[in-house]
Amino acid sequence: MPHNSANSDIAPNGYRILSIGPYVEVLIEKQALVRNAWLLLALLLAGITTLGIGSMPIWPKDVIAALLGQGNPMHQFIVQDLRLPRLLAALFTGAAFSLAGCLMQTMARNRLATPGIIGIDNAAMAFAVSSIVGTGISLAPSVMALAGAATATALAFGLAGGSGTRGYRFIVAGIGIGAIAGAVTQLLLSQVSIDVANSAYPWTVGSLSARDALMVNILGVGTAICLIACVVFSTQFALMPFSDQVITGLGANIKHIRIIALVLCITLTGLAVAVAGPVGLVALVGPEIARVFARYRGIPLVSSALTGALVMILADLLGRTILSPIELPVGIVTAVVGGPYLIWILVRRTSRTSL
Amino acid sequence: MINWFHLAPAQRPLSHVFMSALAALALCCLLSLLFGAGGLSVQASLQTLLGNGSADAQFTVFHLRATRTLVGLFVGLTLGIAGALMQSVARNPLAEPGLLGVSAGSSFAVAMALVLGASTATLTVGIAQFGALLGCLCVLGVARMQGQHNDPIRLVLAGAALSSLLLAMTSLILLFDQRAADEIRFWVTGSVAGRDSNVLYSVLPSMLIAILCILYTAKPLASLALGERVAIGLGHKPRKIRAVVILAVALLVGGATAIAGPVAFIGLVVPFAARALVGADIRRTLWLCLPLGPIIVITADIVSRLVAQPAEMPLGVLTAIVGAPVLLLIVRSRRMPTL
Repeated sequence: MPHNSANSDIAPNGYRILSIGPYVEVLIEKQALVRNAWLLLALLLAGITTLGIGSMPIWPKDVIAALLGQGNPMHQFIVQDLRLPRLLAALFTGAAFSLAGCLMQTMARNRLATPGIIGIDNAAMAFAVSSIVGTGISLAPSVMALAGAATATALAFGLAGGSGTRGYRFIVAGIGIGAIAGAVTQLLLSQVSIDVANSAYPWTVGSLSARDALMVNILGVGTAICLIACVVFSTQFALMPFSDQVITGLGANIKHIRIIALVLCITLTGLAVAVAGPVGLVALVGPEIARVFARYRGIPLVSSALTGALVMILADLLGRTILSPIELPVGIVTAVVGGPYLIWILVRRTSRTSL
Repeated sequence: MINWFHLAPAQRPLSHVFMSALAALALCCLLSLLFGAGGLSVQASLQTLLGNGSADAQFTVFHLRATRTLVGLFVGLTLGIAGALMQSVARNPLAEPGLLGVSAGSSFAVAMALVLGASTATLTVGIAQFGALLGCLCVLGVARMQGQHNDPIRLVLAGAALSSLLLAMTSLILLFDQRAADEIRFWVTGSVAGRDSNVLYSVLPSMLIAILCILYTAKPLASLALGERVAIGLGHKPRKIRAVVILAVALLVGGATAIAGPVAFIGLVVPFAARALVGADIRRTLWLCLPLGPIIVITADIVSRLVAQPAEMPLGVLTAIVGAPVLLLIVRSRRMPTL
């Protein structure tokens, strides 16, 4: 890591400036680094637990051995071929949803503005379902999901005329779009035979079982790229909570910042929906936990990704085990847990709904 | 009859606007009998209506289409009135039974009943109405708890949260029961097709109660619109009025949901149009909601028969496509109108 000593002099207390190349400088809070390390550790533990739990329990020691390609071949098969892909799917989708949620909350200056609430999930799902049930538009579901995410965001922004006061207008515009997209999905499902509808059903509520390996890999790479982009642009993103005048006064281009954040948001949500379907509430809960836990003074982008992944892995674990042998789709688990939480945010008297 | 159009909404003579709307409704009903599938052209339908058609044609027009029109009439009537009442009691132009999770509560109760052994044919209306009441109480509880921060949009968010929670639980139930899932797949899109006119008789008693509730509360509600203190000063009891109104909304929405499934946005669009036509007074609005609700539902139903021939587009999808823009229009209007 190239480290510019001249820059570290101007870094505030408790911060460090990381220079990548001549133009990019990232401000890193040391405390946040420590907190994120804790989160990473928790993630690791949750991952190993998840890999060990199932119809055939495996001890953590054996899980690690199997991951490293040693020990019992049976264990190796179960861990590497059966459970690891699902864990990775949960990890990537959780991180992607939560990161997208954090970005959008910051952008709309309202922590209820997550991709799920403003209808991006629903639109991505409607587009993807239309390609699954075969309406003649047979592109890959993932491409369709991305297209749906982009369409919904563009509509919500265009119709609300920007983010509006405290993002509320944007949110309600999104609710309307989400309602239409949900209706379209229902329409598509009611027009096809029961077998096709059944095959699409777990997918419409959000599920991680039997995901396409290629899609998971694409999502993994996409999430990693977006995360790096977030870190690179974190100094600019940190300006978003301020008013437009302040940002312009500081010499930054608010439009560019918004467009970058939006593109990242759309990419992350679209890819994640393509893998897991709409598991929207992770995008609400993940950044929330990150904000409380990381106590980070800027925007908890990296922490959000980590907590989102953690929430998703735990929710999937819960769905797999709580009513075993029946498997609950992860979307239902997050909705049942996250719905009351959302209501709680709304009813708290001293609610700080805006960021 | 149309000479009221140049007047300001609050000054328009209610009877003239109402009569114009009734005429439009009659036209809608006629069109609903004329258009549709079944290999019957518009001319043939007209012939049948005038008395000379084959037995098949008579069955199509006088039984299938007439029943459907009747169901549409009922659904539009109940949902429009319920929307107007709910918006008045929440003092929020965005309070719509479908958006706020009242219909979702109904669906949840219906799904429960399906799993416990009922079928869509034998569903009792009471179950749906009970679910609607619970949904209503939940979301208005949230709205009341927000205290002095009376933010119109928050109520919608609370409703969205409640809806998503209830929908998730409904999906959860259906996941365990294949038969119920199959039955509810068509029901959840909201439709007025293929309903028996007998289901209409089954909701009549509860509708009578709802009408009594509305007659009892219309005047107090109008004074409640002037503020809590004014209402108390005029000798009304706001708490009691709200309870009666919520009961009426639950009966209406539950009845409509039991018959046609969750049809969203009607409760938003109808009062919005009514207010635009005759002003914000709840008594005038309620009167105009009577013809406007059926007009919108029946028109949507006619369109749903025509756009995707020979298949049909579910009514709920169409009302969402009509209603969401109205939602955006209300939200985009410069100043959020308060009721």
